Amino acid sequence: MSVTTCARPLEPAVLIDYWLGDLTPAEEEDVEEHLLGCGSCGERLGELVALTGSVRALADDGLVRAVVTSAFVDSLVGERFTVREYRLVPGGRIECTVTPEDDLVAAHFSVDLRGVSRVDFIRCDAEGREENRLDDIPFDPATPEIVLLERMDRVRALPACVKRVKLIGHEGNDQRVLGEYVFAHTPPGQGP
Amino acid sequence: MLSDADLARSIAAAAPGEASDAEGELYARLAPRVRLYGLRHLRDAQAAADLVQQVLLMTIEHLRDGKIREPERLASYILGMCRMVVLDLRRGSLRRDRVLRRFADDLAGVEVAGPTCLDTERLRDCLAGLGERERTVLVLTFHAERTAAEVAGELGLTATNVRVIRHRALGRLRACLDDMEPAT
Repeated sequence: MSVTTCARPLEPAVLIDYWLGDLTPAEEEDVEEHLLGCGSCGERLGELVALTGSVRALADDGLVRAVVTSAFVDSLVGERFTVREYRLVPGGRIECTVTPEDDLVAAHFSVDLRGVSRVDFIRCDAEGREENRLDDIPFDPATPEIVLLERMDRVRALPACVKRVKLIGHEGNDQRVLGEYVFAHTPPGQGP
Repeated sequence: MLSDADLARSIAAAAPGEASDAEGELYARLAPRVRLYGLRHLRDAQAAADLVQQVLLMTIEHLRDGKIREPERLASYILGMCRMVVLDLRRGSLRRDRVLRRFADDLAGVEVAGPTCLDTERLRDCLAGLGERERTVLVLTFHAERTAAEVAGELGLTATNVRVIRHRALGRLRACLDDMEPAT
């Protein structure tokens, strides 16, 4: 079935705002009438919806590493995901693992974020050599916590090892270590 | 290619049983659009499928009966029908069974295809190439299809900030998937 092109195509931003309910009622009515009369824009919306669904599916499968929030992790638990959660304080060390029953793993880093304008997350090996970093992670200065959802495929593949995490805070031209945390990981079946 | 309005006119003008091709073509065009409307308002694939059948079978019936006087405003007519049926579905109406018993056999089975599957490995890599704020906003948004205001409240941002980040992130994601820029 061929689809004619549209003389006034809806912008992708409008399509996603519509899909998520971020338009005013009047805007929504105009967009809906256009979508019901336009195969081309309807097809584009369908592609966008497929993309959003795929992002959700990847996250639900633990294949997206992302800074999230405690409220988001709570919502996952409420939806009956099995979330293995670890909570660390600055200077703390935790024994950790994952089991086949775990759907997702989340690490909660307690940290004072007041006064910083930017936070970087750096993971190092046991000797302190940098392995990976997440620059300029989102954070709420009013919430003394960073929550990271890790990629399950990578965590499951880890051998027994020690990983060190540093949170670096930027304040103007200065930067300082906000906290250091240690994970002592044991593979599935051998863990704590 | 005939417009939707032209198809509607040909259905209205045809003798009984003489417009099955036009009816099938119109149904096939409108079904994906009505399905998306249903997914948007009902957030349930089965309910959206019910909406498609109810709305379009009634639309075809009304075209046959000459009740749609302005075929060029078919989209507006269908929008009104969608709103009414969504209310019915939310109230658990039994209109569906009655309509389907009358008309379901009249139209050749029209499959309403779901969205096409994406290359999930490439999507995963493209997501990893986004900035941290972009990825966070997409994950928090799309897990439960939340508004910008809802996500903003969790991240200490404004809703406008979230929408800007969201639009930028989707643009970059789309470009990466289309191979216009490499995933980094």
